[in-house]
Amino acid sequence: MSTTSIESELLVSTDWVDEHRHDENLRIVESDEDLLLYQQGHIREAVRTDWQTDLQDQTVRDYLSKDSFAELCASKGISNNTTVVFYGDKNNWWACYALWAFKLYGHDKCLIMDGGRRRWELDGREFVRDPEPDYPRGTYAARDPDLSIRAFRDEVFQHQAAGKSMIDVRSPGEYTGELLHMEDYPQEGALRAGHIPGAASVPWSRAVNDDGTFKSEAELEQIYLNEAGLKREGDTIIAYCRIGERSSHTWFVLKYLLGFDNVKNYDGSWTEWGNLVGVPIEKNV
Amino acid sequence: MIDQTSNRNNKLEELKQEFDELDVRDRLETLLEFSDELPDLPESFRARRDAGENRVHECQTPVYMWVEVVNGQVEIYADVPRDSPTVRGFISLLVAALFGAAPADVLAVKPTLLTELGLVEALGMVRMRGLHAILHRIKSEVQRAIGEAG
Repeated sequence: MSTTSIESELLVSTDWVDEHRHDENLRIVESDEDLLLYQQGHIREAVRTDWQTDLQDQTVRDYLSKDSFAELCASKGISNNTTVVFYGDKNNWWACYALWAFKLYGHDKCLIMDGGRRRWELDGREFVRDPEPDYPRGTYAARDPDLSIRAFRDEVFQHQAAGKSMIDVRSPGEYTGELLHMEDYPQEGALRAGHIPGAASVPWSRAVNDDGTFKSEAELEQIYLNEAGLKREGDTIIAYCRIGERSSHTWFVLKYLLGFDNVKNYDGSWTEWGNLVGVPIEKNV
Repeated sequence: MIDQTSNRNNKLEELKQEFDELDVRDRLETLLEFSDELPDLPESFRARRDAGENRVHECQTPVYMWVEVVNGQVEIYADVPRDSPTVRGFISLLVAALFGAAPADVLAVKPTLLTELGLVEALGMVRMRGLHAILHRIKSEVQRAIGEAG
């Protein structure tokens, strides 16, 4: 079904999306870092979900509730059996994040459009500045959160104390402790710089080509299996970054492009760990 | 309620009033219209932008901004990519509201401006830091300019 360089059931090309955008029972969802990008121009059939104003509930610093998720889906014309294709800006960070949140609530058929907005634009395809399409309401029953893909701080604490696999996907400077946040990104409130003890450093950006598409399976295997020494089977691997968006990108790579058995995203990430009282960090500066 | 004593900038007060009357969706639409309307960076600044001068480093988007005080009036010139409409829109709003204002009026803009415009609610808290940084940069450049002059 895909013409991208990597064979995964969850990854589709811009060609594929262009061909299938009118399919019944398929919904295209844009999820961006910049909230206004969708309004400025989007794939004609696409709806928007925002990671911050739709998928999170700031009053509890958590994801929206199961019922709110069901309501969100229904309001966007998404039913339990709808195939949802995610795409977005910034190499699909937020598209992967949205996919992860949909998987958390048990949505079955989720796809990523390889290369996201950037690839669609480079292809010279159409963006429209129309209001969000209003689809007939979906029928949605959300499942309880699937915690096999989400790590919480206590679990991360035990995981690192036991010396199990962990992957830090931030930039090298953030990992070593030289930088407190991504270069050119605002400081997001961590009081300490460094990384969780034992975590391997594999910046998320190594997984993508210049046009935002994912690298080939052979290239990804070289990076994650050979260089970082991660194993497909066995112990759970925990991925983290700063606020959980870049690590959901790597989570997607490991779980769905490389077929790892057990990978969790630690969405609390460095903004939580870097501020916790009584937990260790490592620095390399 | 408008605080007459601490803020004499009518354009900004009008904009606050306008945003206050809009729902979240229309506030975002208005911000996008501001993004469309940001004037191009004048020719005289382009070589300096290309040399990487005056980048606002606190902002993740490559934003270049010049804030000057000419004949007692604040002038703001900025270059922001079109694929960052949120930042572009906010800068354009500030240019519309503050270009030509007296330095004291710019310095009187409260740090709670984003809340007053209802943009925290519309965009979410995590998106605020870069925008705060821009307002802070404008005010500190104005402070520096009048310090040098006086």
